Amino acid sequence: MWHYTARRLLQGVITVWFIATATFLAMHNVPGDPLSSDKAVTAEIRANLEAKYGLDKPMTTQYLIYMGNLLKGDFGISFTQKNREVNDIIREHFPVSATLGILAIVFAGLGGVLWGALTALYRNRLPDIVIMFLVILGISVPSFVFAALGQLTLVNINDLLGFSVLPVAGWGTIWHMLVPSLVLGLSTMAYLTRLMRSSMLEIVSSDYVRTAKAKGLPPSRIFTRHQLRNAILPVVTVLGPSIAAITTGGFVVELVFAIPGLGRYFVQAVQQLDYTVIMGTTVFYGAFLVLMVILVDLLYGLIDPRVRLE
Amino acid sequence: MTAPLLQVDDLRVEFDTYGGTVQAVRGISFRVDAGETLAIVGESGCGKSVTVQSLMGLTPMPPGRITSGSARLRGHEILGRTTIDGRDIRGREIGMIFQDPMTSLNPTMSIGDQIAETLEVHRGWSHKRALARAVELLDMARIPEAARRAKQYPFEFSGGMLQRAMIAMSIACEPAILIADEPTTALDVTIQAQVLDLMGDLQRDTGMAIVLITHDLGVVARMADEVVVMYAGQVAEQGTVDDVFYRSSHPYTLGLRAAMPSNDPAPAGAGEPKHRLVPIEGSPPDLFHPPKGCAYAARCPYAMKVCSEQDPAPHFQTEQHFARCWLHHPTAPRVPELFQQQRAEAGA
Amino acid sequence: MAEMSPTVHEPSPGAFEPLMGHQRAQVLSRPSLSYWQDAWIRLKANRRALISLNIVIGLILFTVAGPWLWPVDPAAQDLDQISQPPGADRTATLVERYQPWDGTSVLPMANGLRLAAPPTTQAVRLLWDPMPGASGYRVYRNIFPIGPADALGLPLAETFSADDTRFEDRLDLQPQTYYYTVVALDEAGDQTPARQTLDVDVTRVITVADARQRGLIEPGADARPGDAVKLALHPLGTDYLGRDMLARLMYGARVSLFIGIAAPFMFVLFGVIYGSTAGFIGGRVDQALMRFADFVIALPFLLFMILFKIAFGIGPGESGILPMVVALVLLLWPGTARLVRGQILQVREEGYVNAARLLGARTGYLVMRHMIPNTMGVILVTLTFAVPSAIFTEAFLSFIGMGVAPPTPSWGSMCNEGLKTMLTYPHELIFPAALISITVLAFNLLGDGLRDALDAKMRSRE
Repeated sequence: MWHYTARRLLQGVITVWFIATATFLAMHNVPGDPLSSDKAVTAEIRANLEAKYGLDKPMTTQYLIYMGNLLKGDFGISFTQKNREVNDIIREHFPVSATLGILAIVFAGLGGVLWGALTALYRNRLPDIVIMFLVILGISVPSFVFAALGQLTLVNINDLLGFSVLPVAGWGTIWHMLVPSLVLGLSTMAYLTRLMRSSMLEIVSSDYVRTAKAKGLPPSRIFTRHQLRNAILPVVTVLGPSIAAITTGGFVVELVFAIPGLGRYFVQAVQQLDYTVIMGTTVFYGAFLVLMVILVDLLYGLIDPRVRLE
Repeated sequence: MTAPLLQVDDLRVEFDTYGGTVQAVRGISFRVDAGETLAIVGESGCGKSVTVQSLMGLTPMPPGRITSGSARLRGHEILGRTTIDGRDIRGREIGMIFQDPMTSLNPTMSIGDQIAETLEVHRGWSHKRALARAVELLDMARIPEAARRAKQYPFEFSGGMLQRAMIAMSIACEPAILIADEPTTALDVTIQAQVLDLMGDLQRDTGMAIVLITHDLGVVARMADEVVVMYAGQVAEQGTVDDVFYRSSHPYTLGLRAAMPSNDPAPAGAGEPKHRLVPIEGSPPDLFHPPKGCAYAARCPYAMKVCSEQDPAPHFQTEQHFARCWLHHPTAPRVPELFQQQRAEAGA
Repeated sequence: MAEMSPTVHEPSPGAFEPLMGHQRAQVLSRPSLSYWQDAWIRLKANRRALISLNIVIGLILFTVAGPWLWPVDPAAQDLDQISQPPGADRTATLVERYQPWDGTSVLPMANGLRLAAPPTTQAVRLLWDPMPGASGYRVYRNIFPIGPADALGLPLAETFSADDTRFEDRLDLQPQTYYYTVVALDEAGDQTPARQTLDVDVTRVITVADARQRGLIEPGADARPGDAVKLALHPLGTDYLGRDMLARLMYGARVSLFIGIAAPFMFVLFGVIYGSTAGFIGGRVDQALMRFADFVIALPFLLFMILFKIAFGIGPGESGILPMVVALVLLLWPGTARLVRGQILQVREEGYVNAARLLGARTGYLVMRHMIPNTMGVILVTLTFAVPSAIFTEAFLSFIGMGVAPPTPSWGSMCNEGLKTMLTYPHELIFPAALISITVLAFNLLGDGLRDALDAKMRSRE
């Protein structure tokens, strides 16, 4: 297990290096000079930045400077906001996005397992049909429509009751987080429900469930001890990619609900062509996702004995 | 006379599929007594697994359906029930093992837990006590280092060990009957012998009855007291193992024997000097539309006009031995292979 | 154990003649089907998949033939009909050309804030009585009734003399009810509590010359002011700039479906080539190729879509469709590559491939006869599922303003525009959102159906 963890971490570091390089190459190809945008940069700042990032030097030198800074954990200073370090920006806005994302993945995971198991139990009966209809809706309707509808519903409920049940936008308390994270987790929940359902159905007709029946176990015990645990395995394997989907899906939700997360900040930085913020955020997100995938894999090992002992 | 341990009468099972209704089992009857081994033989798809799974209530319903028949355990009907006299049928009265031990055990649960589970449910034992017994059972099933092995997971076991663990699990509650559905098909030949020996020894110790499903006549010869030869959902021939092997009276049984590899220097049945394996040409009938005559007629080398027109009735050779074949009709031509042993024995 | 079939009759002696070979009816008579025939039958049996297939065909027709049947310029603005929901009244009254106002009233005199002429979309002419102590006035217009919250709406004009008590509103008038307020100003130009309010129902008018020019009047037909004409038809209404929703949805469909179909085709094709190369060659090459694919998969997808968008740089007048397709291809091929490689490796080890090889089959034959048919199903299913995800991505990026550049319509950018007027004109959001949802739904269900139909394992189930 330790060997496995170490190998996965090493792979992760190499992957992050690749992400950083790809980011550098993509940004290097952006037409124009990072400093020649319409935002006036004083000659002094310009000279400083050129010196710091080697902008007047060849690309390989720039790359080495960039990687060196990354190794030191220095993402640089924002090009558009004076004296604001990218690290500070991430430190300030990422926890917001992370909280939103964690809540969303909790909603999606619990909901997916619950609804999926339920539909499999009631296969082809009313609860199955109703839930699967909602699932298809959840997969087919874009997240921004859900976000808009969620906000609209909140506005209407608050109007109807004459007082604010839940805040319509903004951030701060747990009440601000509920609807946005639910909206954010919705499509993943739908996807996981589907996965859980088909996984459950496959296991219902598996040999070892037949064995459990032949042993005379009561259905409730077969369900909990033999079906559920095995059915969750495929759901856990897709949690890694799901976290990635939810993190990026956060952009829209942050925009619609005016949540000061890193995603909204990233979109802003792209609109202003704030080089360091764009690069820093991308590399940070990439590293975060790589770490999440590794964590999910290790978690999987805890559940499935076949992986644990490899 | 007391009721037999298990008596099955005229069992019929159908399945609804998207292609139509399959009549998988078309009137099967047999009985088993304590300490006895009944083998049900037949090729793939002849309904032998469906028969025993229906007894255990393991056929999925729908699409499956038991259309008629009865199965009585010590005189109590078990079809469609899970308990008799408050005792669970499955796991307690009847234990069952399956063809593929690699997929028949829960991959995420330790072997010991899976065995102990049966005892916890049927006997209400504590987990600790059940687990201790599970180790004993594994030991009985000749798994070395049973205590350590009980903590392991199925993927850490070999196929033969898994099947022995399955046996340990199925006899945990000392059932009256052990149903073994092709228990050795997925195993190496050397392992097969170990598993069969284990079953035989346990039977001797506990006096349980065994219903053994197989397509391997070698296994039948080794284990069985009584044999049911199934073809296309029906019993083709039934009798004691000697009757069926040495006094085969159905052409299908003859065909099976001719197709069986053997190191017997003087093979019975085929009158050829060298023992050549003779396959049975053709394939079993479509059970969506079972033929109106004998199901074997299309493949039978002795088929007569009547065979494709009327279903033959069982013709009894002795009280326990019968074959469903028109050749035993008094007006039918005599087929020497079907009668030579009888004559030989009568002469001897 | 005794059993007798009830229907056994004693057979006649002739029944015991042996059967000749040709008399043996072979019972198995159901025809055997090829893989694709069988798959097609199973797909046809799946009602949901069949409906989805028809929806997909309908969408493609809508996109290809639609603009030909409904030849309306998606960029043309109909300023007389802005944000009109479908089925809105589109009659307009013909009027003379606009004449500057001399300040007289054609309507009977009244007190307070009043209209000087019937209010039309050409002009609303307001008169009011001087208010005591006022040294000027400010005129507001609101589209909502003036409530207690003192929200007066849009300030339109100010006058700086107590006697200047008239105002003509010509600003972007729509046929609806407006709530005008005139507030008296003090000497410092600050508002005083004195004010007057008037509700005005504006009627839609169009000048005769305009109507003739736009073809709303039959050529040569007689038309004079006061007659009613029908304005241009917009079956699905118009957007906030007065553009025809139907035409925009059709052109948007071109963009969305082009990206949604072209990008998956290209990345699946590339993935197939890459994956099968890796799978065939195997060994070190395979390792290296697949490791690279792993890296690309690890890139945070949406962030890199945005990065690529700015890296490609969209010049003025460009739509940004092509860069988006390229970015999708660059980022999404590894999934297919992995899948195809796995499939190839699996098929390569199959007994029938070994058998064919032993019989002397050449690589080309093996590929054509065994590899491709056996991976085709998986590839087709991947393709079907890739379409909705590409459409989603386009919509998503356009929604956050990182997709195709305006004014090119796409369903995503239309949703983005519609979101702003969601509360007042929901149709501008509902139509594109519904089209995205239906398209994605149809492709998803079709993909499900295809997977079930093509999966050989499914054949033995049920």
